[in-house]
Amino acid sequence: MAELVHVDRALARRILGGDEAAFRDLFDRFFPRLYRFALARVPRDPEAARDIVQQTFCQAIERLDTYRGEAALYTWFCQICRNAVADHYRRNSRSAGRVVLLEDLPDARAILESLAAPEADEPETGAMREQVHRLVEATLDALPGRYGEALEWKYIDGLSVREIAARMALGEKATESLLTRARESFREAIAGIF
Amino acid sequence: MKPETDIVELLISNAGRRVDPPEDAHRQVLGAATDAFRRKSARHRQGRWFAVAAAIATLAVGAVLMTQWNSPTGGDDFATIERVTGSVELAHGDGWQPLAENRGSLGTGRRLRTQPDGRAALRLAGGASLRLAGETEILLDAPGRIFVQHGTIYVDGGVRTGADPVEVVTPGGTAREIGTQFELQVAGARLRLRVREGSVSIDQGGRSLVGTAGEQIMIDDFGGVRRSVIERASVDWAWAEAVAPVPDVDGRPATQLIGWVARETGRRLRYESPAVEERAASVILHGNIHHLPPLAALEAMLATTDLEYVLDGDTMEIRARSEPIAEP
Repeated sequence: MAELVHVDRALARRILGGDEAAFRDLFDRFFPRLYRFALARVPRDPEAARDIVQQTFCQAIERLDTYRGEAALYTWFCQICRNAVADHYRRNSRSAGRVVLLEDLPDARAILESLAAPEADEPETGAMREQVHRLVEATLDALPGRYGEALEWKYIDGLSVREIAARMALGEKATESLLTRARESFREAIAGIF
Repeated sequence: MKPETDIVELLISNAGRRVDPPEDAHRQVLGAATDAFRRKSARHRQGRWFAVAAAIATLAVGAVLMTQWNSPTGGDDFATIERVTGSVELAHGDGWQPLAENRGSLGTGRRLRTQPDGRAALRLAGGASLRLAGETEILLDAPGRIFVQHGTIYVDGGVRTGADPVEVVTPGGTAREIGTQFELQVAGARLRLRVREGSVSIDQGGRSLVGTAGEQIMIDDFGGVRRSVIERASVDWAWAEAVAPVPDVDGRPATQLIGWVARETGRRLRYESPAVEERAASVILHGNIHHLPPLAALEAMLATTDLEYVLDGDTMEIRARSEPIAEP
């Protein structure tokens, strides 16, 4: 993490210095992740999610010179996004209907275990499953580098290590090692929530 | 519960591929974020320059400082100073120095401001003319890009071909000229755009507004937009005409001066007949019109010819003189 933060600090400095390529790199990496992050908190309201992400980017860039590198830059953006979501609910006086995410629940292990019952068809189980799916998305989004992509290729597309290695322009051993680290990071992130 | 190693596979395969955001959301947020980035980096560079200048002021010996103060230029050439009237100042360190009309060049990162009586005309590297009204402050941010802190500017993109459009960044949005003449007034997040010729787009908060010739767009603090019709030839443009860089007309055909005056005053040009246009092309002017406003310059120059001009609304017609020129 220390190395990542160091890289993020350098990225922030380049953006503040007017490096448009650095800004575009950050935008392309963060936008889809933040959009999903916001949409999970304002479900079925893509326009609100878009406005929240827009507010997040504008505020984050405005305050970028206050970023000290104490957390990963994406984490820092997420905190600003959370505040933007809170603003959204305040503006719309919809706090009563505010979405509570799994991350906010004190003991969510039972919910995770509901995945072990795939045939369950109660509406509340379906809603929980949707939340778990969203949580997986958010966890993949929060993983460093290309870990999220590698795990999707392996577990969703069913690619072999050799095929993943070719996509990532890495050797097979390096890819195996990357997948191991990606799995560990994912498991640690999930364990941190539950 | 299954072993942890299986949980990873189970969770990811059940969740499916992550969903990509819609393209229009990407476009809108990118537009707004890019504007925010440009404004921020412009201010950041400005602040950093102040800090460096302050350090220099503290540490450097007087001779070094004086050398810097005597130089009106920045790094790479960004603009040429064409006209200065009244009080116009260039930022130096933590102070301001009067700007002389010396046709010197200005580099990226330089800041200019005008006092209430000050006017300035710059020629940007791409060929466009940039004019500053009184009480205006700008930063020459990057080639083709100007940051307007506050005040009123006028841009004449001219008839450049293949040149990149001029981009004007303000706290309230970014204006891009598309081969045009326009005025932009900036007061905090409030903007007033007046388009004299061609069209101008304003990107603001992810939305894009386009103003066309003869249109005024006002954007308030809350993003509210009001459109209205304006005259392309009226006294409202007088300040920009007064500071227009005057072309060298000595030894040139009268048509050149006539075309310049029509453009500078926002008027359509019409010749009374093909014969009159031919006549104007054959008249060679002598002398100069330095520091005369466009119409006064035309009046002075045509006084020695058998041509005259008549203003009819937003049209300027060139006619054969109805009365013979009086002998001196």
